Amino acid sequence: MQMNNLDTLPKKKILSLFMTCGFPTLNYSKKIFNEMLSHQPDIIEFGLPFSDPMADGPIIQEANKLALRSKLSTQHSLDLIKYLSKSKKNTSFVIMCYLNTVRKFGLNKFIKNIKSIVDGIIIVDLPFEEEGAIKKSLSKNNIHLIKLISPMTDKKRSQKLLKNSKGFIYYISATGITGSNKLDYKEINKNVKFIKKMSSVPVLVGFGIKSKKDVIDISKKTNADGVIIGSALIQKYFDLKMDFNKYLKSLKKFIKEVNV
Amino acid sequence: MKTYKQPSSVGRFGEFGGMYVSETLMPLLLNLDKSYKKIQKDKKFKKELNDLFKNYVGRPSSLHYAKNLSQYINGPKVYFKRDELNHTGAHKINNCLGQILLAKKMGKTRIIAETGAGQHGVATATVCALFGLPCYIYMGSKDIERQKPNVFRMKLLGATIIPVESGSKSLKDAMNEALRDWIKNVRDTFYIIGSTAGPHPYPKMVRDFQSVIGKEAREQILKVEKKLPDFLIACVGGGSNAMGLFYPFLNDKKVKIIGVEAAGIGAKTEETAATMTSGTPGILHGSYSYVLQDNDGQIKEAHSISAGLDYPGVGPEHSYLKDIKRVKYFGITDKEALEAFQTCSRLEGIIPALEPSHALAYLIKAFKNKHKNKVVILNLCGRGDKDLFTAARAIGIDADE
Repeated sequence: MQMNNLDTLPKKKILSLFMTCGFPTLNYSKKIFNEMLSHQPDIIEFGLPFSDPMADGPIIQEANKLALRSKLSTQHSLDLIKYLSKSKKNTSFVIMCYLNTVRKFGLNKFIKNIKSIVDGIIIVDLPFEEEGAIKKSLSKNNIHLIKLISPMTDKKRSQKLLKNSKGFIYYISATGITGSNKLDYKEINKNVKFIKKMSSVPVLVGFGIKSKKDVIDISKKTNADGVIIGSALIQKYFDLKMDFNKYLKSLKKFIKEVNV
Repeated sequence: MKTYKQPSSVGRFGEFGGMYVSETLMPLLLNLDKSYKKIQKDKKFKKELNDLFKNYVGRPSSLHYAKNLSQYINGPKVYFKRDELNHTGAHKINNCLGQILLAKKMGKTRIIAETGAGQHGVATATVCALFGLPCYIYMGSKDIERQKPNVFRMKLLGATIIPVESGSKSLKDAMNEALRDWIKNVRDTFYIIGSTAGPHPYPKMVRDFQSVIGKEAREQILKVEKKLPDFLIACVGGGSNAMGLFYPFLNDKKVKIIGVEAAGIGAKTEETAATMTSGTPGILHGSYSYVLQDNDGQIKEAHSISAGLDYPGVGPEHSYLKDIKRVKYFGITDKEALEAFQTCSRLEGIIPALEPSHALAYLIKAFKNKHKNKVVILNLCGRGDKDLFTAARAIGIDADE
């Protein structure tokens, strides 16, 4: 069986970058992902646009909307990922999406499209109670189903959730939607420590990480193995009044900064 | 005969329903489910709710023999279950009272809700006023525009209205925003969902609280007709009034049950809200059910003249009842509903909301000169005051403020 990049993640300071596929258009999106890939982050998360991204904040919602407005289909996104995988080295590819996208595309067809290209998948609205058949098919094809844990997940539930976990654990740092602000390092540290007791895979902290300072603080003040940055990468596009060239430059600068 | 026993312990109606939400919400839903199960056995809770039903809402709502309409149709004897006579003018209050009592028991201190037509928003704002809890209502900006009287009512009741500008700016988007609010404020907030939609345990819980409609109707019809009805008819958006009427009759196989959806301009057009006539199974707002979606699973915008039915999804129990063929579902267009709205007003002296006008339109259309000697109960789930301007505009009468 082919290797899964997620199984050889570094021990510390893992960087995962999230970006919505097809944002702001398919052609621009290629350039964005190429730029991201050139920095060789440990993980790139590919967001598949969905019309009703319930767990996402306004910035990723807007990115979804722009991508869908340019008539982006699921097949377009998967083709984009395939195209990028040609220049992929050690970076792990992870898809982040909502269940309806996978269901409607067809689970088997979906897996066929991403097999040996994608290392992991996060299905935001698929709790472990419902994952049965999907997890089985994915693991048969060496794709890890990544688990999310929130501050609301209690110990008993965490134990069930973490059993046989693969790839990494996505710890939601704030009870909130993507792009929320407050980071409570004390709470993060307490919960990450607990997760690490029960699981040997790396724990990455996501939601609300916006700057180099946040990245360093997470690494200094908590036991987490790395961070996930998403909304902050997209936000810059709107800050720069949708000037794409300026955006690409600022993206380069920002990724260099956080890639510590 | 097999007794009807849905949903399963994990909220499945057959294959429909379930809990498809992010991990931030899962623990909350499980906790809600646990608390709901507990209060179901609580006699004090039941008594409290029944007292409120009786003295605050004015239950039982009457069962009115619509003699003139029956004559006009020249078919069955038509009875209206008059839930439009409830306090706040619709069936929504039944569920809101149940949920706010539960919220209180769970120690929650902040209430949020979504609303389309504003009826659920008004009912939520009302119970929040009664129980002294802060109330935040998510409402699509398109609905704020077309349901002005209800917006003012909610404000008067002390609620804060949060306009939703995303997507189609109507009910679906209001629900997305309310869910996002809940994810952000998980610790102190209770989300009162107004329909039999959303993740488990909502579809079950809302149905249970609304089933007071069917329980009363059953007793009332047995008293006047000495038999069960031959037909039940109700409109279906998310499906709460319909489930409320249907549920206590599901085991009575002789009772034929009909759900009427809003077909907008036509069920086969893009401008429709007839989820079960035109949709396919998919996942929206945390549950697996029929939805209006494209080939990629992107949820389509719904269209209906009635803001309360303008929803691209439907409660999972309706999807199940459709698939097992226990309930039949039909679509009625904006135009047909508007006609029935006027016919009912003139013949019975009751101005119905545009939502039950869809049920009325189906009754008039499908039962004309048919089913004589049969008995029909139609759920008149809301009154039409809120729709006067919309209807006037559509009919072409200047009724401006």
